[in-house]
Amino acid sequence: MTIPELPDVVGHSLDGANYVISAEQNRTLCHSLGVEPDAGGKAHPVYFYIATQVGMGETVAGLCALCNFDVEDGPMMGTCDVTYFRPLMTGEPYRVRGRILGLTRKRSRKLGIMDLVEYQLHLDLPDGTRACSVTNSWILPRGHEDGN
Amino acid sequence: MAIEPGMSLPPLKVDFVSPETMKAWAPILEDPNPIHLDREVVRAKGLGDRLINQGPINLSYIINMLQAALPGGFIESISNRFVDNVYEGDALEAGATVTTVARSGDTVRVACDFTLKAEERDIVITGTAVVELPAAVFDALG
Repeated sequence: MTIPELPDVVGHSLDGANYVISAEQNRTLCHSLGVEPDAGGKAHPVYFYIATQVGMGETVAGLCALCNFDVEDGPMMGTCDVTYFRPLMTGEPYRVRGRILGLTRKRSRKLGIMDLVEYQLHLDLPDGTRACSVTNSWILPRGHEDGN
Repeated sequence: MAIEPGMSLPPLKVDFVSPETMKAWAPILEDPNPIHLDREVVRAKGLGDRLINQGPINLSYIINMLQAALPGGFIESISNRFVDNVYEGDALEAGATVTTVARSGDTVRVACDFTLKAEERDIVITGTAVVELPAAVFDALG
C-alpha cells in the first residue's frame, strides 16, 4: 500500500459564497427534530455547521482531494468547536470565510495511519460583523502499513 | 432547584433515530453520501446493516437539550468530540452536568460537560458548552 505524502495545504483559502438560511428550510429542519422554529426569526443554532459546510469554497470531497484523500475512503468527523457572537438569523446573507489550519499525520492502534485536517470557517454579515467562528477537524484514515 | 455546579440538566431522549430524518436532512446539508440513505452501500462498505445518522443531526440533539434545559439562554460556545457513529433505530440520550456558574453584572454564564449516549453502546459525542442567560431569567429558573 502506498500512502501519499502530505501536501502543503496550510493556509489554503476556504472563502466561499453567501449563505442565506431560509425560513422555510429552518422550519423543516426544526420540525424534523420535534421543535418549533423561533417566532422572532432566529435560526436553529445547528446552522453554524450547515451554513459553513455548504457555503465554504470547497466541497467536502474537494477538501479531501486537497489532502490527497478520496472522499469514498470515508473521512470521519473528529472534533467541531463553535463560538457564537450573535444568534444566527433566517434571511441574513452570511459570507463564509475560512482557511485550512493544519494537516498532520498520526498513528492510531485502531485506524493505523491517519491524517488529521483542521480548518476554520466564519460566518460574517455584509458589514463585516462576525456571527460565529467554527473549527472542525476531520480524520482521514489511511489504513495500516501492512495493508489492512 | 437552583442551577449550580454538579447539577445534572434534564436529559433529552430520542426514542428512535429515523431514516426519514436523514432523508429530510440530506438536501439541507447538500450531502448525498449514500451511507445516510442506502443500506446496501453501508453493507458494501463493511459499516454494518443500518444507515448512519448525519453528524450535524447528532449535534442538534445536544443543542436541543441545552435550549430546553436553559430556556432564554444564548449558546456562546460548544466543543464537540465525535467518538462513534449513530445508527438508524438507535435510542439516544443527551445529558449534561453543570461545571461552573459565573455571574457578572446582569448576565450569568453556565458551563457544562455534555454527552450524547446511544443505548446498548456508549458515548457517541462528548464535549463542553457555555450558555449565557440574563440574570433575571437564570434566577427565575431556580
